[in-house]
Amino acid sequence: MIIWLLSDYDHRKHLAFKSLLARFSAAFPETEAEFAVKSRRTMWESLFAHLRDPKRNPLADIIEIPQNWTELFSRLGLLADLAAQVEPLARKRYPGFILKELCRHDEARAFSVPWWLEAPALFFRPRALEGVCGEPWNELASWDGFRATLDRLPAGGKNRNFRALAAPYSTGAICAADVLPRVWGRRGGLFSDDFNRATFTREETAGGIEDWLELAVSGKIELFSPDRFENGPLPVEQCAFIISSRKLPGQGARKAGPGLRQAKAGARQNRLSPRAAGTAPGDLKVLPYPGCSAGGGLALVYNLAVSASTGDLAAASVFVSWVMEPENLAPFTESFGVFPCLKTAFEECVQEESAAETYRKIFSAPELLPNIMAYPTAELLLERALWNLSLKIARRDYDREDLTRELIMAQGEADYLLSLY
Amino acid sequence: MKKTIENFYGATAGQVFEGGRDSFLQAALQAVSDRFALDGASFYEYDEKNGLLRLRLRQASGVAFEHEENSRPVPGSAAARALEYMQPAAASAPGGRFLYFPFMFDRSDPSGGKNSISGQGLIRLERATRRRRFSAAEIAKAAAFLRSFLRDYYKAEFFSLTRKYDKNVSAITELTEVFATALRVRDSFRHILAGIQTYFGFDRVRLYLIDEKNHKLKGELSADIRGQIKSISYEEIPLEAGAHRFADIVLGRSSGAFMERYKDCVLYLPLSVQGVTIGLLIVDNLLSQQRIEPAELAMLKSFGGQIALAVDNARLFDKVEELSQYDELTKLPLRRFFNQRFQEEFYRAERFKQPLALLWADVDHFKEVNDTYGHQIGDVALKEVGRIILANLRKIDFPCRYGGDEIVILLPQATGAEALRLAQRLSTEISELRIAVPFSKTRELKVTLSIGISTFPLDAATIETMLEKADDALYWVKSHGRGKIALCSDIADEKKKMAEAGGSKNN
Repeated sequence: MIIWLLSDYDHRKHLAFKSLLARFSAAFPETEAEFAVKSRRTMWESLFAHLRDPKRNPLADIIEIPQNWTELFSRLGLLADLAAQVEPLARKRYPGFILKELCRHDEARAFSVPWWLEAPALFFRPRALEGVCGEPWNELASWDGFRATLDRLPAGGKNRNFRALAAPYSTGAICAADVLPRVWGRRGGLFSDDFNRATFTREETAGGIEDWLELAVSGKIELFSPDRFENGPLPVEQCAFIISSRKLPGQGARKAGPGLRQAKAGARQNRLSPRAAGTAPGDLKVLPYPGCSAGGGLALVYNLAVSASTGDLAAASVFVSWVMEPENLAPFTESFGVFPCLKTAFEECVQEESAAETYRKIFSAPELLPNIMAYPTAELLLERALWNLSLKIARRDYDREDLTRELIMAQGEADYLLSLY
Repeated sequence: MKKTIENFYGATAGQVFEGGRDSFLQAALQAVSDRFALDGASFYEYDEKNGLLRLRLRQASGVAFEHEENSRPVPGSAAARALEYMQPAAASAPGGRFLYFPFMFDRSDPSGGKNSISGQGLIRLERATRRRRFSAAEIAKAAAFLRSFLRDYYKAEFFSLTRKYDKNVSAITELTEVFATALRVRDSFRHILAGIQTYFGFDRVRLYLIDEKNHKLKGELSADIRGQIKSISYEEIPLEAGAHRFADIVLGRSSGAFMERYKDCVLYLPLSVQGVTIGLLIVDNLLSQQRIEPAELAMLKSFGGQIALAVDNARLFDKVEELSQYDELTKLPLRRFFNQRFQEEFYRAERFKQPLALLWADVDHFKEVNDTYGHQIGDVALKEVGRIILANLRKIDFPCRYGGDEIVILLPQATGAEALRLAQRLSTEISELRIAVPFSKTRELKVTLSIGISTFPLDAATIETMLEKADDALYWVKSHGRGKIALCSDIADEKKKMAEAGGSKNN
């Protein structure tokens, strides 16, 4: 049995999965299981390559996908219906906000199983904000407040590496994962509510994207950072703000269980990870994403799907069922700072957080990326536009008109796509 | 057997690459990590145009993983020096101890084309800061090791390209055959689209043909990425400039900016035969947003003429077939086509014990119409009768212009009573027809039908008898005043009564 896992900027996920798989193999020695880690791009390419030529490009038996790829790939016939093997989604083992998106068209079938989720949040070090922001809980609730605070932050003094803001998941360029939380915060989106037309150029959407681009234009975040190439992601103690959808260890998270201890051990083995993992405890605090303090922010959910062409549906289903057992799921998600998708485990996890109140707010009415056929492609169109803009910003020849032009073209393509699919 | 770089040396590079480029890279990074006691190893591609190093694969803590990360090396740094001078360079930074090993490929395409395998990048060997630096001896050993790996990598890339070229050659041969043998219209269009999808595998292929009569671009068929083909006949685009982008393309008025934007993942291929555009073939990778390789675009463009010819042949064949099977005036099938279909339906009725009715109609006084008003008016009358018949039949019914003004209609799964109902409906509608005859006194012409009906199994047990009985019934109507309908069974009763009446008179 082969499993394709989505690559993660945080190497702890790969290590946690490796250990999860070792435990599965111990429990089911008759099932041989291997895994490969694919980037989002190569995962997408591999799925389409399989559609084009299934014999030359076989698919893994189990695939991790963003939840909003489910509709597309189930309609293209790539994913097996797991309702008979695992459970129908209608049984409501998952939080309502996940089911709402996943069961948009069909409650009786389950082409993918919600596995883990994360939600972008704002982490800050109160010490770094002394004299700059008296009431972070109020002042950082809005994007404008957050942006003004960023401007007021002094340079790092003797600390040359000090950065006002860090986004540890960055790929170097500005990507959809950067801008979409802000777009959602402004109540924008890539499509109209009825999904009949693309809305890239709508004020809320374009404005949300522009808010993030402005951070790069003004130098608050660095694109294609050479320092990152040499030294890996910035250590949390050198940043005043971190926008991350992962719980960061320095925020005084729940007591370290076996999963976390294991992850930290893995991080020590891996040269670059201790900085990314933030093993040095700081005094980090967490707040909802600026502009989403009343809830309604974006949550990102990742699902497990079984390939329709798998030779052993039974074994694949056994694996998915086993992984979804709370005692297997919770330590796995805990080890890289995300939340489990099982309703009880999720609620327990939020409850046990030291910042439980904040996370309750974050998850009070989260929204998921729409699970419709054209959405993943629309996101690619946005990625392409953002890549072009990132290059322009890095070359310092970016102009507001560039954004308008890129969004008009992306919107035209997305509209055309909607007319086809 | 687990793949390691040592295993690879025994095999040819072509075989090595069977597992795919990624598994080759993974095995290589694993091997170099093990041999030089590394904490990590990364494979970067260099995007020279933008000066970016793009991480492709990384190996750390026994796990290889793909990851997307783009960074710009600091000018003068070890990585930048390695890329500039194409020499290994070592560095110690707060992030660790690194050894950068640059590589560059630039070889010509085995097909002799302008394409070349080009590639530049870095392999980075990594150790944590607390661990020892890379010694000069280690650097030399690692360089030798990586050079040998990169040689295999290059060979593998080259073999991969050769295989791709071989595939293209076989595609050219087989697709040429596919296009050349396209004959029957529906099947041939399917054949053409399926052939394109088999060799190219686009997200979607669509075929539109020009309907000259209605000045429209009409959808024919669409094939999706899984090769499933469906009709898109519901798509009709007015062939006017500005009406639709497809119309603009066919009319040669599409804007350059539009074509430029889509050139990487859409190809609009106008189909022309002898300088006349007959349709439009559209292939796209819009859903996956994957680039269509320039070589594939070029190949498909070169097929454009053949595809157009195949499509045109198929359309001509269809036209010829239509002419040989259908009456151009009434649009009803001709006798030869009917006979074939009658045999099939009769066999089906016999086998499944279902009723079958035959309706034989004749336009009353048609010879006089022709003689009095001329053949043009007679033709109009027949054309209208044909139209009304076609509009009143079920999908399974089969009409035919049997000859002259005689029309036969086959009604599968219909009893005599059902056939009678249809005959009455046709008779009524046709009797309401008014054919304009401007030069006559009445200025119009009324048309009536005489109809005879026979049924299986009630009236006849063979095809010939069925035709004979329907003809008998029609003759009976014509000899009893025309403009009426007679069921064979009714005439038989009538004849019997008459015979009995005649007999009693004789007695």
